Amino acid sequence: MRGYHDIGGKAAGPIEKIELPWQHWEKQVEAIRNLLGDATRRVLSLDELRLGFESFGEDKYLRYSFYRRRLEAMIDTLEKKGLITRDEVMQALEQVRANWQDLEACAAPTAER
Amino acid sequence: MSRAPLLPVRFQVGDAVEVLDLGKAGHVRTPHYVRHKRGEILQFCGYFLNPEALSVGDVSGPPVPLYRVRFRMKDLWPEEVRSEQDVLCIEIYDHWLTPATHPLPEDTP
Amino acid sequence: MSEPNPHTVHAHEHTIHDHDHDHDHHAPSLVMEDEAGNLDGQQLVDALQAVLVRKGILSPGEITLEIQAIEAPGTHLGAKIVARAWTDPGFKARLLANGKNGAAELGLKVGEAQLVVVENTAEEHNLIVCTLCSCYPRSLLGQPPSWYISKAYRARAVREPATVLREFGLALPAGTAIHVHDSNADMRFLVLPLRPPGTEHLDEPGLQALVTRDAMIGVAQALRP
Repeated sequence: MRGYHDIGGKAAGPIEKIELPWQHWEKQVEAIRNLLGDATRRVLSLDELRLGFESFGEDKYLRYSFYRRRLEAMIDTLEKKGLITRDEVMQALEQVRANWQDLEACAAPTAER
Repeated sequence: MSRAPLLPVRFQVGDAVEVLDLGKAGHVRTPHYVRHKRGEILQFCGYFLNPEALSVGDVSGPPVPLYRVRFRMKDLWPEEVRSEQDVLCIEIYDHWLTPATHPLPEDTP
Repeated sequence: MSEPNPHTVHAHEHTIHDHDHDHDHHAPSLVMEDEAGNLDGQQLVDALQAVLVRKGILSPGEITLEIQAIEAPGTHLGAKIVARAWTDPGFKARLLANGKNGAAELGLKVGEAQLVVVENTAEEHNLIVCTLCSCYPRSLLGQPPSWYISKAYRARAVREPATVLREFGLALPAGTAIHVHDSNADMRFLVLPLRPPGTEHLDEPGLQALVTRDAMIGVAQALRP
């Protein structure tokens, strides 16, 4: 019954002494989590978030990056609590992607002014 | 509404304790590598809501005593220890601890 | 729960050499997003934000402010605490007794439940890790480094700390005991590094400049002047 996140003492290889920059989207994930857990809302605590990534399956735990895990666990948990659905997020994602493509089209270097 | 009395602080600094394996599913903060191991209470940290309950949205309590427990590395990893003096300290909630009744083997110089 | 779209999980693979057979032998210890992965992440969090804003749960302005708030802390705040502890024995004693209160004396608010400051001496060297996730004194030091979050560090620091320290270029004398702290619950930890020799002439800002993030985690000593 050992959780796949409970890795203290397990064999592992060299530590990647890399300094990855903190991406804007990663800060946004943390900011949203902090606000959802704040005293005015209390809709997503750190422990609820942790349960989320400890139970979404070992495959995701191994393959997702740290902040992606938190984002996915946040979506899962908010859905579990009936606040959002993943379908809603996926629909919003389509809109985000469409807007992105529109922006890229506007920014095309050959655009005439 | 009457408030329930605080859970007792069952251990004092210096007490010998053993970490239980409560066999709980879900979100627990007691890693496997210290379960069934014997250590010593280093510090009483205070009362905190149980993360096992918080993880499922239960904030009703009661708050649980939390301790820092110190383990000798040689008791955690007998084959690999670098030094007799190396230790590991970790936070353990009260319900995961039981008094350690068996003495450790005598250290031979 | 939807399965991960293989096109949305991008990672540079650093294969871990794993002797533990219930591990995936091809799983990287630290999954790093490439440009496509970062774009996916940005779009997905924007989508989540749009849903939450539409439902009135969050507002965009407070998200912006919260991002600024989490960007503000960093090594410089921990360095202030260390430099003061090096120069003021009374402050150091109070800090070691109650880290949150000690930080507050310097106007630094610790957002977590408590800060435990552990002092390096000639006899003891302290090392901090969170084996279960990534607990770190973020309200003071900001974002932990990527390696602190990696599975290799989380797995190995509690078992072979001396070897881990050597990988970071830190060789301890045989007579120095290693104290590893697994930050697994409500406490957060800060290492008070040894004050380097030859610093008696330095003022606090000069001392602060010697204090690195890695020294406050315990994988390095403070810099020499």
